[in-house]
Amino acid sequence: MYSYKSGIPQIDQVTGGFEAGTNLLLLAPSLSYAEQFAYALTKPLPGEYTIMLSTNERASEVIDQFRSSGADKRFIGVIDAITKSSTPAVSDTERFMFVTNPTDLTGIGIKFSHMVDLIFDGTFSKEVTGLFPPPVRFCVNSVSTLLMYRKLEVLYQFLHVMSAKLKKIEGFGIYILNSEAFDDKTISLIKQLMTVVIEIKVERSDNYFRVMGVHGINADWHKFTINKGQVVLAL
Amino acid sequence: MISTGMFGIDDMLGGGIPKGSRVMYSLEPGVDGQLFMISTLYEAVEKGKSCLVIIPHTTVDAFLADIVQLRGKPLPVKENRVVFLDSVDRERIQRRAGKGGAADLEWQARIKKLCTDNNVGIIFGYFDMIYEDFGLEKGLRLLSPSCCTKDTTIIIEHLNLEGDKLLESFAVKKSFDLIISIRSSFRPLPHFNYFTIVYTSWSTQLRRSVPFLVKNGRIVPYIPKIVVTGPPDSGKSRFVSNATELGISVDRTGPGGETTTVAMDFGWLHWQDFDITLYGTPGQPRFDPMLPMILHNAMGVVLLVDATDREQLLRARHLFHTITKMHVPIVIAANKKDLPGLMSEEEIRAGIGTGKDIPVFLISALQKNDVRDVLESLVDSITRFIY
Repeated sequence: MYSYKSGIPQIDQVTGGFEAGTNLLLLAPSLSYAEQFAYALTKPLPGEYTIMLSTNERASEVIDQFRSSGADKRFIGVIDAITKSSTPAVSDTERFMFVTNPTDLTGIGIKFSHMVDLIFDGTFSKEVTGLFPPPVRFCVNSVSTLLMYRKLEVLYQFLHVMSAKLKKIEGFGIYILNSEAFDDKTISLIKQLMTVVIEIKVERSDNYFRVMGVHGINADWHKFTINKGQVVLAL
Repeated sequence: MISTGMFGIDDMLGGGIPKGSRVMYSLEPGVDGQLFMISTLYEAVEKGKSCLVIIPHTTVDAFLADIVQLRGKPLPVKENRVVFLDSVDRERIQRRAGKGGAADLEWQARIKKLCTDNNVGIIFGYFDMIYEDFGLEKGLRLLSPSCCTKDTTIIIEHLNLEGDKLLESFAVKKSFDLIISIRSSFRPLPHFNYFTIVYTSWSTQLRRSVPFLVKNGRIVPYIPKIVVTGPPDSGKSRFVSNATELGISVDRTGPGGETTTVAMDFGWLHWQDFDITLYGTPGQPRFDPMLPMILHNAMGVVLLVDATDREQLLRARHLFHTITKMHVPIVIAANKKDLPGLMSEEEIRAGIGTGKDIPVFLISALQKNDVRDVLESLVDSITRFIY
């Protein structure tokens, strides 16, 4: 089975990467580089594809972010829940699909299925990666925004379906949730859908992360920075 | 009757949706089923019916742009025959209602007013957000005859995150006159979408499930596999080639110049609003090991026999025994009716060992109409069958 490299040596050296079908919650406070951390985990490596569900940034901004970290944009697709509200006539392409706003879970689900279909059919990009099933990284940026638009119970059911689908296609899901903006019940409910949790904290302007739920990795905090789209451990 | 805008489905429903009905299109997350509601809306608007479209999840402009993208052409709105309540209205209603919780009354009042002022005949409601805002009972009440008249047809699309239980409860409580569930088999392969007519109040027909394709902005019911099998020289290759628009046969010429199918016949046809793929098996017993592979996942089988050849019936009996184990609809086509020595239907039934429950057609595979009669019967059985 395929393993998704995290780019973090402490994880990849011990485990060989995240197992296909892993759903990972990135739990972080505001201003903690969580988004950059998520981009580092979501960036497609050679042979892989990435789908980003963006509830905060336009598709063009998402691509810019990936490009700055050296990712190959031909293998990145974006489901954009921002642009269509101001530009209703914007049309879907293979790599950019649009829903009116983050409330439209029907649209989000359909666009996700379409994109996965295109990836599996080999029509997503002119370049074919050659691996089957094609490895797909999927990032929800962010669950916090979705929770602002939809009730927890509804979103829980929706994410339950999405995470199960991701498991079926042997993908790797990354879900960002603001740890300060929601109560314990919300966080623990979303955690139930996940196989791995990476928690981030900020102490005296330094950022730390710890990994929970991966066999062989203890839950110690690691100081980190982000450099050119890579998570770099500070000694 | 109101057309669903999907003609194969209209036929399955006995002509369409009776006026004044309540209809639920239930979408499983991720399934490409938005065109069901859009097709019905499009058809109603094209026919000049007065419609109210409730879209609390989006704006009118974005909704109309989505229709263009899905359907390939804009909604043909004529003389203000379509009115909307959209996400902007939802925000206004929520703001006006404040925390007092009277938003449902505000919705009700607005729906009533729009229905009365515009003499609305059909309401199209996207239920997802209404359900979240008001819960199931209250939400359904908003989209019920209490907000309009008894003659108003109400068509609802809902993202069903609760699965079959919700639909079963709707069916038990008779909350709707028609419930169509639209679902998808997700990866790993095979991947296809299908719809199930879960319940209709105006007929006692059995639950039906049919795969569908989205082609040129339309829903096309799809039968991915019908197999035509039978003894050698019963006319299977001819049947497949005469039934289909595109077809090939993998044949081999024997020492005497006669040809026999050595792999399979394959053909495709679009008929009665269905896309259908036909597979023909080789008839020679030496190819029997291939039969399970060709028959695998078939939705129906045509057993073809030569109606002038009594000696074939034993082989046909053996094949019939094999296919009855698959638990799929079967039709028997007795070919070569135009040749001398024709057996009677009773002789054929007795020879194959089938009762009256399996239809037998006396046909000539050279006649396209005969071939199509067989397919019509089988497609009808397939759409009624519980798989």
